[in-house]
Amino acid sequence: MRKKIAFLILFLLFTIPAAAQVLLTATTDKTALTLDDELTLTVRLSGTKGNLIMPQLPSLPAFNVYSRQVNQSSINGNNTLLFRYTLLPRFVGKTTIGPVTFNYEGNTYKTEPIQIRIYRDSSAVQNTPIQSVSPDGNISSNQEQEISANLPPLEYSLATQASKHREPFFTIAAVSNQNPYVNQEFTLAIRFYYSQAFYDAPYQKPTVSNLFLEDAGSVDGTQSINGVLYRYQEQRYLLMGAAPGPATIGSATVTYHVSMSPLSALDRFFGSAMREERKSVSSPISVNIRQLPSGQPASFYGAVGQGYTFHASVQPAKVEAGEAVNLTATVRGPINLKSTRDFPFPNIDGFKSYPAAAVSGNIPGANNTIQSYKTFKTVLVPVASGIYTIPPLEWSYFHPGKNQYLTLTTQPLSITVTPSTQTEKSFDFAANHTIGSGFQTLGQDVRYLKTSYAPKELWLAQLSQWKIINALMLGLVACCVLFASFGRKSLSQRKAFTTARTKLKKAQAETEVAEAVATYLQEKLRINTGSLPLKEITTALAKKGVRPATAEAFSLLWQRLDAARFAPAELGAQSTMDLSAQALDVLVLIEEETK
Amino acid sequence: MRHGFFIFLILLGYAVPCFAQDTLPQAEELYRQGRLSMALSLYEKALKNHPNDPFVYYNIGNCYFKMGSKGLAAANYYRAFKLNPRDPDIRHNLSLTLASGGERLVPTGVPEVLHRAFFSLSLPELTGLLFALFWLVCLYVCLWLLKRRGRWVLLITGSLLVICAGWWYARTEQDNQPLAVVATPVAEIRSGPGTNFPASASIAQGHLLTIEDEKDDWYEVIVKSQSLKGWVEKSTVEKI
Repeated sequence: MRKKIAFLILFLLFTIPAAAQVLLTATTDKTALTLDDELTLTVRLSGTKGNLIMPQLPSLPAFNVYSRQVNQSSINGNNTLLFRYTLLPRFVGKTTIGPVTFNYEGNTYKTEPIQIRIYRDSSAVQNTPIQSVSPDGNISSNQEQEISANLPPLEYSLATQASKHREPFFTIAAVSNQNPYVNQEFTLAIRFYYSQAFYDAPYQKPTVSNLFLEDAGSVDGTQSINGVLYRYQEQRYLLMGAAPGPATIGSATVTYHVSMSPLSALDRFFGSAMREERKSVSSPISVNIRQLPSGQPASFYGAVGQGYTFHASVQPAKVEAGEAVNLTATVRGPINLKSTRDFPFPNIDGFKSYPAAAVSGNIPGANNTIQSYKTFKTVLVPVASGIYTIPPLEWSYFHPGKNQYLTLTTQPLSITVTPSTQTEKSFDFAANHTIGSGFQTLGQDVRYLKTSYAPKELWLAQLSQWKIINALMLGLVACCVLFASFGRKSLSQRKAFTTARTKLKKAQAETEVAEAVATYLQEKLRINTGSLPLKEITTALAKKGVRPATAEAFSLLWQRLDAARFAPAELGAQSTMDLSAQALDVLVLIEEETK
Repeated sequence: MRHGFFIFLILLGYAVPCFAQDTLPQAEELYRQGRLSMALSLYEKALKNHPNDPFVYYNIGNCYFKMGSKGLAAANYYRAFKLNPRDPDIRHNLSLTLASGGERLVPTGVPEVLHRAFFSLSLPELTGLLFALFWLVCLYVCLWLLKRRGRWVLLITGSLLVICAGWWYARTEQDNQPLAVVATPVAEIRSGPGTNFPASASIAQGHLLTIEDEKDDWYEVIVKSQSLKGWVEKSTVEKI
């Protein structure tokens, strides 16, 4: 029993929202009219699925149904249907349009009845408070109003222009923005006003330059201008500036036929009245297209406007490696997004990416406005298992009101990829990179983080800190160079006497004495005794500062040494010692005198 | 009171580096969890305490790479490579990132072995080697001057010094060359420093540029891989 109740509750939970989604409304453009006039009954049906299903009109004995229009739009399979019936009154008096009924999935939906008054002439109508319902659902008073500066620019301009006319037929045109930016969408409205009946009015749309023009539908309405009740047909266009600079919108022409005799309902069917062709022309409009400010972000793809939304989704979020995932990013906004550049998906690590063409279109938005959308899709195929995160995606637009670029960011998306249960061939992405059997390259990624820091450098790096040593080394080299050039000479000179004295003391023969003296003269005074005669040696000694007496003593010594070298005799050790002592005495004198 | 104040200062002195050390494991944990922007901000904070640590730059590069900013990743890998050119992970990640932007770490025509040899030492290490050789040559010069010995050793060390000096000069020139990398998805190269000059090319993220000059918000650059010269907005590139 409990289970049954639970099932019943669940069933109700599912069925109630489904039933609640269907909406049926019926509205008329006026609640009072004359016999010459016509009434538009608009039936709006939304929330149904599947094939087009017609609502059932009530019995309308006071009207003839003149024409019927059907508009259909669909979002995610949910249909929105708009039925417009033109009704021609038949009798004067008060009548009621009964409930429009609609049967759907076993439920019956009904609209509220509408009271209508039909008069013989328009004076009575003008005294009746009329509520007109425009096709977009907005209810507005038809009584003449003061033109308020608070009106939107387009409505204000239309109202201002219309107030200047009194003729029964006229056409006006206005734009919602005189200084739009490049790619900023704005609206052109062309209204053909009439206060008298007419036959068909072929409409010729205006020519434009430096603008993209797109049809945005038409609406009918009623307006009291200067005490006269007018009806109007309004044709709307969406415009977009192509390039910075002036742009023009040419005149729109409406060609209409008026009857030369009073029009009756019968005339409408048989067209028996006499007609005259007339033309109504709107004034041309000039617009200045502004250039977008600099500093466009990288994620700016040309959208200008406001009220955008940007979201991304993945479907499915859990797959096996090698299976496809749809990554979809959708931008929605109030303006046409068709002309914006496509959003490029970034490369996502670990996935092969196969982008698809972007899809754009229009859908009905809130308050019967038109919303534009553009959907970007890419198919991602994960090459290996793991949990992947799609980074936030960015899409920027220019907000004319704030005069700045704004960026929309999606939430990061997570995809769980489990290892493939398929055979290897089923997702052999890198067949060319197969190395050996059982090894397959799946992709490349950066290597993981470093978890230890401050790596040690070679000891050589420490040496680079010791720059002072360079200077020391250069100083050392300089010292060595100086020493080699000058120091070595004085040192050898200083050492010459000591060396000679040692040699003389150790001399065993006259030749050793002679060699010691010759070496002394060579090293101390740079006098080469081998190639010079004695006279030149003594002259050289004199030049070095040796006194004549000492030079004479040296001459005697040198002669004795020559005799010993060139005419050696058997001399005893005593003679060698004498010679050595004599040489030492002479060298002492020379040493003292040449200091 | 004074003692207490000094103890507080000393503790503060120890605590600040400790805090900085703690941020690195925390950043690694965030990276592992895929919270890349938070990990990145911690690594960038850590960089203030480790301004010449190649591994911090390496980890910052990894964060940028995973976030899809391959240009900024390449810039940080390049900084790490300059500081530690022998590390195989740095070389691998830099090569991979540059390759994704159509660039090559090893210039075309240069053998890989030669490139690795050229970057086998960091610039401070190479400077140290140059100094050591210079000191050795000085000593041998002195020996030769005083004793007239070691002439052949002097010639060999002198030749090594000349080669090392050439190597050092080439490395210094390369390291001092102002480089930049394209950091935005696309950068436009214009014929002059301003948007009023026509764009001659667009270049994708991750491309290496050599900076020749700068004027206001613009760099004059050379794209060696494309043999192209022009001006790019500073905001679109990251100077290395």
